[in-house]
Amino acid sequence: MKDDIILQVENLHTGFLVDNVPLEAVSGVSFSLKAGRVLGVVGESGCGKSVTAHSIMQLLPKYGRITEGSITYTRATGEKIEIQKLRRTGNQMRQIRGKEISMIFQDPMSSLNPVYPIGDQIAENIREHEKVTKREALDRARKLLEDLEIPSAAERLGDYPHQFSGGMKQRVMIAIAMACNPRILIADEPTTALDVTIQAQIIALMKKLQREHGTSIMMITHNMGLVAEMADEIAVMYMGRIVEYGSIRQVMKSPAHPYTQGLLKAVPVLGMKKDRLYSIKGSTPSLVDRPAGCEFASRCEYATEACRQVPRAVEVEPGHQVRCWNYKEATDNG
Amino acid sequence: MNKDSLKHILKKFLSLIPMLILISIVIFGALQLTPGNPLTYQIPPELLSSSTFDLEAYEKAMGLDAPVYVQYFRWIWNILRGELGYSLVSGAPIVNMLRTRLPATMELALCGILISSVFGICLGILAAIKQNTLLDYGCTALSVLAISIPEFFMGIIGITIFSLKLGWLPTGGRLVYGDNSFGTRLAHLILPAVVMGLALTGALMRHTRGSLLDVLTRDYIKTARSKGLSERKVYLKHAFRNALIPVTVLLCFRIPGLVGGSVVIESVFGWPGMGGMLLDAISGKDYPVVMITAMIIAFVTLIASFLADLFTMLLDPRVDIER
Repeated sequence: MKDDIILQVENLHTGFLVDNVPLEAVSGVSFSLKAGRVLGVVGESGCGKSVTAHSIMQLLPKYGRITEGSITYTRATGEKIEIQKLRRTGNQMRQIRGKEISMIFQDPMSSLNPVYPIGDQIAENIREHEKVTKREALDRARKLLEDLEIPSAAERLGDYPHQFSGGMKQRVMIAIAMACNPRILIADEPTTALDVTIQAQIIALMKKLQREHGTSIMMITHNMGLVAEMADEIAVMYMGRIVEYGSIRQVMKSPAHPYTQGLLKAVPVLGMKKDRLYSIKGSTPSLVDRPAGCEFASRCEYATEACRQVPRAVEVEPGHQVRCWNYKEATDNG
Repeated sequence: MNKDSLKHILKKFLSLIPMLILISIVIFGALQLTPGNPLTYQIPPELLSSSTFDLEAYEKAMGLDAPVYVQYFRWIWNILRGELGYSLVSGAPIVNMLRTRLPATMELALCGILISSVFGICLGILAAIKQNTLLDYGCTALSVLAISIPEFFMGIIGITIFSLKLGWLPTGGRLVYGDNSFGTRLAHLILPAVVMGLALTGALMRHTRGSLLDVLTRDYIKTARSKGLSERKVYLKHAFRNALIPVTVLLCFRIPGLVGGSVVIESVFGWPGMGGMLLDAISGKDYPVVMITAMIIAFVTLIASFLADLFTMLLDPRVDIER
């Protein structure tokens, strides 16, 4: 099963209608998720990582639309499903959602319904997809919570979200996502809203679950350290495009895109003897007046005339792609 | 519902008693501040100003010479025994006045609340689900109309159409002499209850729609969808219960207004309720009736706020009724 592609995203374009003006948040993203592997998607806020994830789940807001491209999910039976063709709230999409592909969101504080006990909220997912009694579903919910190392899980099933801390709520969210043993887990910044110590615990738990169940994970984050720790492959996104894509070793060792280099330099390292932490100059341009050509050019120290054209993806080495005209100079100097 | 929350509810209910006592003191005290002696309204001025008239003896006989707090306790004690006193204007026992008026008011208010909560909440949900469609705009326009057109005008239109033109419903009154059947009672009730409920229907519809739309943007709705739940379950199970919390509070706090402030509707439809009685009592300086009516309205208000607490607690586990 290893290296079988379970999710293939091809030239995905997703846009939103803002005041009746279409804005493209994702412009031609392609990547593949392999069975049992972890793909890290990194980039700063607003680069389109979450929109990509929501496109896969068909959980886009009302005014969001997949305008082009395809998302192909391969079932365990080998059947291929083009997700973008399914009706958002239709039966087929609903059977995949929560059962075969599930998702954890950024803010555990607001992701659980405040008026229902957490046991019911976990059991609900199981009961939606499998023919089990409420008692069986609750029993499985308890087991999930125990696996996620929540103390006295049986008693806590009847508790409400406000009786849990942030880290505990995120465990409950993971329990909901893992309840039907999905083949793909999309984690949208699962640790961003948590304390650093709790982050490490959550990551350890996710790794454990991934090992035990062989789930493929798409890990969306802006935390380079987290990606380095968990991911097998990494996609770096900037303004709705993947600017660099490759195995974690390739990208971390020899980042080719100036933006990836900037991101890596901006990670503080213990014992670093610098007064100031490196930061990428300028800020992300607005989607409303997107610059022509390479969107990173205005912030890039290697920018040349060529950058007025949108760069194509170039293969630096097998499996390592970069979208930059001047990646050679950047690699040599970076 | 466990034993603890039942205890909390009981506690909350008992805490209404001191509130009620406080209100009764305020009402009694306020009346003491009004100018003049209640007796002066009852005795003809010629007699009052004649030199042989002994006002003090009358005051003594009526117990008006006692200290204020004694008078207060006497008043409260009488109320508790069901002796509500007599109207200064008609001399009738207030109990008898209430015996017909209170049920009439309650009947009207309950029907108004029922109509407005059913229609208001249902239309609000519909408008939210079909946001920015013709249906939504239509509901919104109707609710604005319902809120802004005065009740008396609605009432007159209703009577003109349904009573005079179509002849389906009676023009007013509550009962027909010698005919106490359910059908006639209902026929008399429909128009005033609908007119009374219209404004509240509009308000509840707007409130439900807004509240539901707000809830639908919350993250937990996305979580519900991410489980693969049907839209029906997402709306009715996950969104609706959360959206209902502020709506029930609004509903509860409108109840006292329906009980005490339905003067206009009562006069349009000739409905023999408390509003008209209160109006007569105020203009006739019939203080005993004013006091009792004020107490009843205050009591209803307290009950309504208790209900608001209760519903909020039942709907939202984050609310601890003790706090």
